[in-house]
Amino acid sequence: MTGQAFFVLTALADGPRHGYGIVGEVAELSGGRVKLKIGSLYGVLERLTAEGLIEPDREEAHDGRLRRYYRLTRDGRGALAEEAELRAVTARVVRARLRLTGSGAAG
Amino acid sequence: MSGNLEWRYRRVLRLLPDWYRERWEEDMVAAFLDSWLTGDPEADAYISKAAGPSSAEIASVASLAARLYLGGAGALLRRNFGWSQATRRAVLAVMLVNAVRGLDGLVVTAWSRHLLGWLPASPASMASSSPGPWAPVVWYLVDYALIVVFVLLVLRYYRTAQVLAAVAIVPDLARLLYGEFIGAFQGPSLGPWAFWVLLFLVPVLAMTAFHRNAPPAPRWPWLLALPANYLLVAVPLLAVQATGNSAWLPDFSGLYCLLVSLACVAHAPRARSQSAGSGVWSLTLALLAADAGAYRIFSIADYLHDPHLITVSLAELLILVAAVALVVPDAARAATPEPPPHPHTMASQ
Repeated sequence: MTGQAFFVLTALADGPRHGYGIVGEVAELSGGRVKLKIGSLYGVLERLTAEGLIEPDREEAHDGRLRRYYRLTRDGRGALAEEAELRAVTARVVRARLRLTGSGAAG
Repeated sequence: MSGNLEWRYRRVLRLLPDWYRERWEEDMVAAFLDSWLTGDPEADAYISKAAGPSSAEIASVASLAARLYLGGAGALLRRNFGWSQATRRAVLAVMLVNAVRGLDGLVVTAWSRHLLGWLPASPASMASSSPGPWAPVVWYLVDYALIVVFVLLVLRYYRTAQVLAAVAIVPDLARLLYGEFIGAFQGPSLGPWAFWVLLFLVPVLAMTAFHRNAPPAPRWPWLLALPANYLLVAVPLLAVQATGNSAWLPDFSGLYCLLVSLACVAHAPRARSQSAGSGVWSLTLALLAADAGAYRIFSIADYLHDPHLITVSLAELLILVAAVALVVPDAARAATPEPPPHPHTMASQ
């Protein structure tokens, strides 16, 4: 799973959001490090829809335009939980190795 | 308010393939405008005049376009997109025909029961001749259900529409079986059976193409198509029928062929120029032509006793074939599957 897809799924974890809502949430989640452009966002949304990880939720009119909301599917929630676990395990391993090499370099 | 800004962004989106724009463009435009507009009319007017997509934004669209043209993870879905979309539109069109027939049935029923007081009494020739002891209320409900099914499909209540449609076509099946049982059909009964299969059963089965991830049909054009078609097609036919000139009218199968032929001719300029989104409409018309053509061929069996009617039927078929030939090359473009993504590309995404 790409970093962008991971952030988009995470942005949808607590409820449906529309396109620009996802952009804002991803920026907030990443502390401003990931600023999705609309073209990139819709590339990710299309892939996640095709893989059945997200689905359209509803449409709402806003200033004469329709905002389409997206939500996680059950598969999407499962995939996000798996990915989060994998990243947590990887992070623990990386931290442990950095500590080892750090102490080796120090000694 | 967002005119210029929106126009500039839509120009950038033209980099994307037609099928992708058809599905995602409005969504992307809405998100893009959300990222710029503030809700303050003065500020938005200035932004709309002065701002445009940044180079990073254009690069993201160009990168997406490159990935889509070269094939990516969504390609499996896209390979069938043209067919699925054309199937959905063809089903909507056939259900529109059924809804117009339903509306026509309701009006004729009301007229023959003197519920339309401002009209003179309906001619006896317009009375229903269904075999069997079928209560008029059943046909009233079926006609009503056909209209409701169409509206439900347009409003995206797909599951309810499917169930209601499946129930609504049962009385006609029962009527056909009963007719066969009591020998009500004089000669072959291929025409009525072809009607039931091609205009009822096949569209109901094809309704599985409607699902929540499918791009929704534009509501108002389809909803307005019902009264428009009733007024432009059914009412004139009803008037001709009521004035005792029904011998000049084609039968329903012929009418179906002629309407599809007209639609093909009207669409032909767009199909020739292969403008954005035309391919799926061409494929839709090709599917409708196949349905209408099959119905015409099977229903010719009803006219074996009359060489003149056979000639007329064959002429209708020829017109249909000539008309659909105008859109077939464009339809083939939409129907051609894109190459599947390379396994490595899939695995890496």
